[in-house]
Amino acid sequence: MIEFSGVNKWFGSLHVLQDISLTVAKGEVVVVCGPSGSGKSTLIRCINGLEPFESGRLLVDGTDLSNRKALLKLRSEVGFVFQSFNLYPHKTALENVTLAPIHVRRLGRAQAEERGRALLEKVGLADKMGSYPHQLSGGQQQRVAIARSLCMQPKIMLFDEPTSALDPEMINEVLDVMVGLAREGMTMMVVTHEMGFARKVADRVIFMDRGAIVETAPPERFFTAPAHARTRDFLSKILQH
Amino acid sequence: MLGGLNTRVMMEYLPEIWQGFLATLFLSTVGFVGAMALGVLACALTIQPLRWLRAPAVIYVDTIRATPLLAQLYFLYFGLPRLGIVLPEMLIGIIALSLNSGAYMAEIIRSGILSIPRGQVEAGMSTGLSYMQRMRLIVLPQALRTTVSPLIGQAIVLVKDSSLLSLISVVELTRAGQRIAIDRFMPVEGLVATALGYLMLYYALKSAAGAWQARNSIPGRG
Amino acid sequence: MVWFYLERIFGYWPVLLKGMGMTIGLSLLSLVIGVVIGFGFGIIRAGHNRWLSRVLGLYIDFFRGTPFLVQVFIAFFILPVIGIELSAFAAGVVALSNMAACFIGEIVAAGLKAVPSGQSEAAIASGMTRAQQMRLVVMPQAVRIITPSLVGQFVLLIKDSSVVSAIGLLDLTRAGWLIVQSVPNGLLVFGIVGLGYFIICYPLIHLSRRLERRSQAAFL
Repeated sequence: MIEFSGVNKWFGSLHVLQDISLTVAKGEVVVVCGPSGSGKSTLIRCINGLEPFESGRLLVDGTDLSNRKALLKLRSEVGFVFQSFNLYPHKTALENVTLAPIHVRRLGRAQAEERGRALLEKVGLADKMGSYPHQLSGGQQQRVAIARSLCMQPKIMLFDEPTSALDPEMINEVLDVMVGLAREGMTMMVVTHEMGFARKVADRVIFMDRGAIVETAPPERFFTAPAHARTRDFLSKILQH
Repeated sequence: MLGGLNTRVMMEYLPEIWQGFLATLFLSTVGFVGAMALGVLACALTIQPLRWLRAPAVIYVDTIRATPLLAQLYFLYFGLPRLGIVLPEMLIGIIALSLNSGAYMAEIIRSGILSIPRGQVEAGMSTGLSYMQRMRLIVLPQALRTTVSPLIGQAIVLVKDSSLLSLISVVELTRAGQRIAIDRFMPVEGLVATALGYLMLYYALKSAAGAWQARNSIPGRG
Repeated sequence: MVWFYLERIFGYWPVLLKGMGMTIGLSLLSLVIGVVIGFGFGIIRAGHNRWLSRVLGLYIDFFRGTPFLVQVFIAFFILPVIGIELSAFAAGVVALSNMAACFIGEIVAAGLKAVPSGQSEAAIASGMTRAQQMRLVVMPQAVRIITPSLVGQFVLLIKDSSVVSAIGLLDLTRAGWLIVQSVPNGLLVFGIVGLGYFIICYPLIHLSRRLERRSQAAFL
């Protein structure tokens, strides 16, 4: 579904992605973690073309990312959830969810709204359809954002630190939605430090540091017997509390 | 069009244009100083609590902002003699410019002071600073930084506005340019020379504002 | 004494009324044209074409850096030299709407840049084209941000329209200027002229302040 081969990216002289090769199969859930500045966000932003890269090849659902013409269509089939939600403040929850289906997918309004309502119900926001983003809590906003991506019926869902901007008591309501999605068989790549989530649903956990993939392992091995010193060091820092 | 410019005539009138340029510079500078004084006074009156002192300042600011400078200029030019006050045109012009820009400066300074977050004042209070100390040490230094750029913006407006004084026959840059137009029937040459003069002042002030912004903006806040 | 002059001034009410009508008509027409062109300018100025944006920037600088009186003279005296003969009214509309477009263009560009980049990223991520991002996501938010400034700009435009009296267009200021020639009481005549402008501008100034307070509240 996603296939990186030898991808490199620089910000000026900073080598932010170093020779990344990685394959994610259909239905797989991959969690990416690592210290800040390790390139993990850049990595998943590349997958829907939010970040260009300098060398290497990236295939997503059979489409080469260097093919700029196919990019629009590809993006409409890859959902992306941002750390800061990025809901449209001038639209209600339901309008946020139906905007792209109506204008990008050319779905009829009635059909889009039907689909949007079902999704907002699914993420537990049946009573918030007409609310504006500033009337919702962070957790509610992020669930709207997830519904917004799902409404395009994506083949892949990407999450960029979806719970980092949330108050602690709201993290679980978002993770629950994501767990449900993973169990339904969605292909997912998730940048997060929520190790409980990784244990529960991830097929693989990837640890990145300084722009490179240091270690890839299934969660039980990743947490109990990490192979690299840097991975152990990182885990001891985030798990000690 | 520029190829057809009669540069010989422009050179011939250069001394007059230069005089006009200096006059514009002088009018704007004096107008700016007067406007600053009026602006600080009007702002001080609008933020203090006594209603009967606040009212005249508010009326002044609102009246000026809701009427055009040209009408204000004619009001003084045709009106002052009525009160038996006969002043040279240049002085009337400077008074009008100061009165006009002063109202805008009052607003600029006021919003600079109001932009200081409440927490700053509270931090000052909690460490035991008096009202005057809080103003002097915390509020004004921060307010000043945020007001310099808009004040320079107002200076640009003032320079351009001073051109209206040509309509009450004060000789400044616009009037000097018209000389070429009228004496020689060469409106293009006159207006090009005039526009160049104003553009020099505009770019000088604009880059000053940019330089100030770059050096003195409070980190994390525009 | 005052009544005597007032009576004489009001003998000129058709001129005053005509002047007021001209001021309002000229401003409204120039506003409409200025807004349309100004939004175009703003989109170019905030756009990705650096070269085009810079060239337009120079053009805008010229009209932001020179007095409006000079621009009125340019429209009235220079355009005929290159073969565009304009009536005083047309010259006034051209000068006024052009200047409005330049100022509005910079306001719109600033508004577009003030919309957080995450917004267009979210739009990009859902597969929208550039035009869709602008129309559905970025522009509606920019318009909310700049509405108070736009209203403020309209006030400036109405006041600047007084300058076209210099080329003989009979607006409110020109009406005052004509009346004061035969009724020698400048305080009264221009007091009334000022009142005319105040009646149009003051409500707009209030509106602008209210919008500003509301938009600040909405975005916090």
